[in-house]
Amino acid sequence: MSELGRLALFLGFACSIFAVGSIAWGLRTGYSGPLRSGRRAVWTVCALALLAVILLERALLARDMSYRYVAEHTSKDLPLHYAFSSLWAGQEGSLLLWLLILSAYGSAFLFAYRKRLDPFYDAVAMVIATVMIFFTGLLTFVSSPFRILATPPPDGMGLNPLLQDPGMMIHPPILYTGYVGFIVPFGFAMAVLLLNRSGTRWIEEVRRWTLFCWGFLGVGILLGARWAYVELGWGGYWGWDPVENASLMPWLVGTGFLHSVMIEQRRGMLKTWNIALIALTFELSIFGTFLTRSGVLTSVHSFAESNIGPWFLSFILISGTAATALILYRKALLESENRMDAMISREGSFLFNNVLFVALTFATFLGTTFPVVSEAVTGTKISVSAPFFNRVNVPIALALLLLTGAGPVLSWKRATASVLKRNFVLPTVMGILAAGIAMPFGAEGVYPLVCIFGAAFVVTTIVMEFARGIQARKSSETAALPAQVVHLVKKNKRRYGGYIVHTGIVLLFVGVLGSSVFQKEAHAPLKTGEALHIGPYTLTLRGVTERQKENAILTTAILGVERGGKLVGTEHASKALYSKSQQPMTEVALHWTPAEDLYMILGGVNEDGSASIQAYINPLVSLVWGGGIVMVLGTLIALSDRMRIRREEKAG
Amino acid sequence: MPRLMPRRSATLLAIVFLLGTAPFSEAKPRDPAHAITSQLICPCSCGEVLSGCTCETGKTMQGYVENAIKQGKGKDQIVGALVARYGEVIRGAPKPEGFNLLVWVLPFAATLAGFAIAFLVLRRMVRRRAVIPTSQGALVADRGGLSPGRTLEDDLEALRARAEAELRRMRE
Repeated sequence: MSELGRLALFLGFACSIFAVGSIAWGLRTGYSGPLRSGRRAVWTVCALALLAVILLERALLARDMSYRYVAEHTSKDLPLHYAFSSLWAGQEGSLLLWLLILSAYGSAFLFAYRKRLDPFYDAVAMVIATVMIFFTGLLTFVSSPFRILATPPPDGMGLNPLLQDPGMMIHPPILYTGYVGFIVPFGFAMAVLLLNRSGTRWIEEVRRWTLFCWGFLGVGILLGARWAYVELGWGGYWGWDPVENASLMPWLVGTGFLHSVMIEQRRGMLKTWNIALIALTFELSIFGTFLTRSGVLTSVHSFAESNIGPWFLSFILISGTAATALILYRKALLESENRMDAMISREGSFLFNNVLFVALTFATFLGTTFPVVSEAVTGTKISVSAPFFNRVNVPIALALLLLTGAGPVLSWKRATASVLKRNFVLPTVMGILAAGIAMPFGAEGVYPLVCIFGAAFVVTTIVMEFARGIQARKSSETAALPAQVVHLVKKNKRRYGGYIVHTGIVLLFVGVLGSSVFQKEAHAPLKTGEALHIGPYTLTLRGVTERQKENAILTTAILGVERGGKLVGTEHASKALYSKSQQPMTEVALHWTPAEDLYMILGGVNEDGSASIQAYINPLVSLVWGGGIVMVLGTLIALSDRMRIRREEKAG
Repeated sequence: MPRLMPRRSATLLAIVFLLGTAPFSEAKPRDPAHAITSQLICPCSCGEVLSGCTCETGKTMQGYVENAIKQGKGKDQIVGALVARYGEVIRGAPKPEGFNLLVWVLPFAATLAGFAIAFLVLRRMVRRRAVIPTSQGALVADRGGLSPGRTLEDDLEALRARAEAELRRMRE
């Protein structure tokens, strides 16, 4: 079976080359035959990638230890569902998943535009197929998941205990769907440049594809944060870890693009900038995979030893240089059709918002890669972690929050003094009021107050926009307010979907503020019957149990949780010792309320029989997850905006 | 007055970003030990920030910091001792000196440069729009979607040629 897997990948490689060559020939000559063959080759690569995934899954589920990948990432006592998710536990499997999603995007793209005869869409498929050459080549010649061991071991090394979590079964595929999806906007952008196409129709299609993968990437990032929260046991959800940063960077640039693309659609401006943002988003998504898979983060030396690191770096350099060269070559095509009317306008605010998005990405990129650069230059190993990012990224993010409120209420073209007064006075007053009210509740320092001001400012502007929309329509005077809001959203899904996303962002900011600045922490060794006090809670240790759980020994502290002298629950904080790795893993106990989480960890059992209990109160952390859900809702609403597009298509 | 704008904006931005050096996580330190451990990294391979680290090494280090504070040692003294033992890698953020100063300066410098460039680009675009000469020497303030720096007749001619070319292509 391993030979069949290797053959599938090799054929995938050959078909990818054929797809690129055939489409290129068709585009050059104008013959439709080669274009059709090229499209079929893209479909074939998808089928071959699926076959390879099925074959590897079969080996993983059967625990066929003759496969090196299976022996390295599973064990016989590993539960079946985790054996299935081992596909994305290691480098080769992750790359195979990348290829499957990439080729699925290629096929989905061709299916979506199957009725369009314009060779432009073939050019997009050609760009996707070019990236497929890289991944099939990597999986065929450099990092094959179908390598066979001469002497299969009796049992495997087991799956990393951190990955034995239900969240890890869905987080990577969703994240990858976001990451890889940026190939389609990149394909569009490169096709426009290659074929020297003008017009703005493609930009609406790009916006929709970008919104789709941006939404998936956002959900993937949040799922990763949730996983870190419940699995890592340090009381937080975002540690500015390089892997987290790798996924955040394309999301940030993608967000910037989703804003500036509106200027191109409405005013025919910032074309070069938009294409550059699309290219940067794609390069960052490849860079994210490079960062997590090349070993470069461990040290410069492990990068040099990595079998895929240099290949990825070369691919990023070549594709980045090619994209830049094309942009410069087609500079005339990307010239603005309009000029700016005034600095204080929505266009102006979007431009500054883009500067902040790119600056935030740059700061994250610099902080993530700087340890390697510094080690290479000075020879000394350093760390650039949360303490750095909290100082550098937070002020930039707060400036973005303020612009989130300002941008939508500025008029297109020119914001007059009366517009500024009408739109800014009330939000500013509300912001100051909110910050003033928060101060007696413990909000101190510049950042928390700016965050509260910004949150109130943004929410007020959104409410004002909704109120104005309802007032302007005057269509359903008798309808209840919620019905009017729904009607309004339905009429302009894109605009109000965007406002809902902004509401989600505000909730996220407030959640982050509450759970970081107002977090409380207490720890103590407890013997049975002893109590730990934290805020309004009293945690009493009822006892410690030990039991075998599939492939781990689970030690559990049973904690009675009282609030104001009243028992509100019994929670179980555990430590799992996995048989294969002998690595102790934390299993957090969470006592959830809408206002705060009581987060409990068993540090371990001491020699005197006491249990080390650590507890945190994380206020408003629900808003982080709630904000994420609101953002998804807003994205779905904005994505469903098809009526206007259909109208435009009929008209034109 | 218009000349003052960039200077004012620059000053405002400088103030905003100088505030950026005030650490967010230290806005309200919970206790002296947390103020120290939240700025350090666990020296084992876990790589977690020490204040939230649950590994054995992390717990030992947290105990060390708490004991050192009880003994009356100051933050600099404790951090200095740990750096001497484990190296610079234990700091969660590098000291802003020498080559490592770059990582602190570049993000803010890049942001300010980005703002300055965006400001200049915007100003140039606004000025260009305000004064676009026609062939008659008159000034046109608003020309919709037409190309800058060319006459209306030029644009009309170009549009006519494009329309004809497209019609020809459609007939073919």
